[in-house]
Formats: sequence, structure tokens, C-alpha cells
Amino acid sequence: MRLFALDYARPAEQLEVSAPYAYDSALQLNVLPDGRIAAHDHAVLRELGATTSTAGSKTHFDD
Amino acid sequence: MTVLILTCEQDVTADMVVARLNATGVPVLRLDPADLPGGVQLSGEYVHGGFRGQLSVGGRLVSTSGLRSVWVRRPGVPAARAASASASASSWLTEESSQALYGILRGTAARWMNHPDAAARARHKPWQLHLAQRTGLPVPATLITTLPQAARDFAERFPDLVVKSVSGTHPQDPPEAVPTSRVAPGTDFAAVASGPTLLQHRIAKRADIRLTAVGDRLLAARKAVAADADPDEVDVRFARAGAPWEPVGVPARTAAAVHAYLREARLAYGAFDFVEDADGIWWFLECNQSGQFGFVEIDTGQPISRAIAEWLAQEADV
Repeated sequence: MRLFALDYARPAEQLEVSAPYAYDSALQLNVLPDGRIAAHDHAVLRELGATTSTAGSKTHFDD
Repeated sequence: MTVLILTCEQDVTADMVVARLNATGVPVLRLDPADLPGGVQLSGEYVHGGFRGQLSVGGRLVSTSGLRSVWVRRPGVPAARAASASASASSWLTEESSQALYGILRGTAARWMNHPDAAARARHKPWQLHLAQRTGLPVPATLITTLPQAARDFAERFPDLVVKSVSGTHPQDPPEAVPTSRVAPGTDFAAVASGPTLLQHRIAKRADIRLTAVGDRLLAARKAVAADADPDEVDVRFARAGAPWEPVGVPARTAAAVHAYLREARLAYGAFDFVEDADGIWWFLECNQSGQFGFVEIDTGQPISRAIAEWLAQEADV
């Protein structure tokens, strides 16, 4: 029998959107192609949902 | 003295704190345990009654005695990226790497946000409910059961119910999300026998509250429920965007209870979720010991990343 709670499950959103920034190990920060720090660009973060409470759900349950 | 941050490279929320620490000249070592062994190296020796250890990544080398704090943010599984011959070898290597890294770090004087022992206990949602009740936070009537009859009885007493995951995790095979969802009247509870099920009295909410606790600092934000909101949309994480998060003051009684919760849970950081009812009462839903905060800071401008950076920058206990 299927678990009760799974009757309320929905397919997980695929969050594998390609981010317009990359990790810079020298800075220990993600940077945009123009060299700016990604975390300072709130528009980018909003667009990707990269800081939201479901952003890490796939591998972490502390959202 | 260095701040050690354990997280994955993609974690731009951690970047918000790293940037703050950089701006104040506090040394940072950021690494992902998934890269141990390989990109991350460690060494520690216990000789002549003392210990000397070091961690290195990307050309940076830090002595474990030089760590002022450890921030456990979104670390990968130790050795996850290491090449190995078989699944069993991989599992063993993960355990070896985990014991080596966290075992060495546990022996340092660094302050933790949050200590792995506290974090492991704090992840248990039933324990969260227990602690919330004990510290004076209002908790909606909740049942966790594998007994269909218990579920039926509970539904008779509390007809307006939601169901949610006990663990807060989501199934991975296949990948599914389990949002908090309303349970329709007359639902058949037979399937409750298949696995522990968490049923909770639904609080008719007028707002969601996210209270982020950093040390002694409490930063709360409120997201009002739109007048035309779908009443079946109970889980704010999965709801349409709606109103923005806005800063809100923390009622004195709630603040006292939250401080007591954090003290007892031994947490330096916690993201508390409440719902606010029509009388303005904040009902405790859960406390995520590593909950996201970036979205709140972006909406409200609240200095959460700064508060975290300041907490991490304090000197280690001696």
C-alpha cells in the first residue's frame, strides 16, 4: 500500500537551471561572468530561487 | 583566527556571509567535505600529549588551533566526489572521511553553528514539537501514528487537518516533493498503517512568519496571506509568490520562548516557521537548524548575513 503522505506528493521541480555564475576558488565565492560577486546581485538570486526555502530540498532537509 | 565554512560550491547564500567576512578582514576557509579526499586535505597528529592538525583546500592551509568558528551550512557527504572501486568501498570511505574530518574538528576550541550533535537532534520534527511545547510556544494539535484508527479518531476531534512529512525530507526515487497539504473530510486513513504519518490541525492563518535566530539576535519576517489566496495552498514554500516578506517585531513572550528553545537545543542558529492566526497568535510549525535565510534578507533587507558573520567572527572559546 502506498504511504498515506505520498498521496499528496507531486513531482519534484527540477532546479538544474544553469546558473550564470561560477565558483571562484581563489575568492571562495561565486562570481558572474563580469567578475561581480553573484551574492550581491539580488535580481539574479531572485530569478534562480537560489536562496529560497526549497532551494536545497533535494539533498538537504533543513530548509 | 579563521572561520571554517563547510558547504558546497553552489551555495550562494553562504556567499552572502563570506563577502561580509571578507569585508571585515576575517580569514575564511571554505570547503566541501564531498571533496575529501582530493581537493580537500587534512592531517592531524596526537603526540606528546597534544594535538596538531591542519586543513587545506585550494592552496589555503589552516591549523585547527587557528579556527575560531565552524559554520556547517550545506556540506556535501564526505568523500562523495572521491573515485572509488565499488559502492561498499565508497560507503566505507565516506565513513572514514566523515570520522576524520568531524572527529578532528570536534576536538578544537572553535564555536559551532551548529554543533553536529545538536544539529542531529534538532532535525527530529517530533522532538521539535516536544521542545516547543516545553518552552511555551503554541503548537497545533498534532498526531504521528501508524494506527488508522488513531488517525480516524484524531480527524473526528480535529476535522480540519493537514498532512506533512515527519522527517521533512522528500522522496528521491522517483524525486517527489511532499508539501504540507490539506486532508479532505471523509479521507480513508487505512494507508496510515504503511508508514508513520503526521497529521496536524490546520491553523487558519493570516500570515506566515519566518523568525531567524542568530545567537541572541532574533530577526522575524511576515508574509501576509492574500485575501484571494487558495485555502488549499497551505505550504508557503510551494505557494505562488504573493506578498513579499516584511520585517515584523517579535512578541516578548515568543522571544523568551524562542531563546529558551535555542538554549535547550544548544543551537546557535535556527530558522523558525510559524503561522499567525486571526488573533495574532504565532503557532509553531518547525525550527530548521540550517534553514535558508537569503530570500528573507533579499525581501526585507534584514541584516541576517551580517549577524551570522558577526557571530562567526567572535573569537573561539578558551
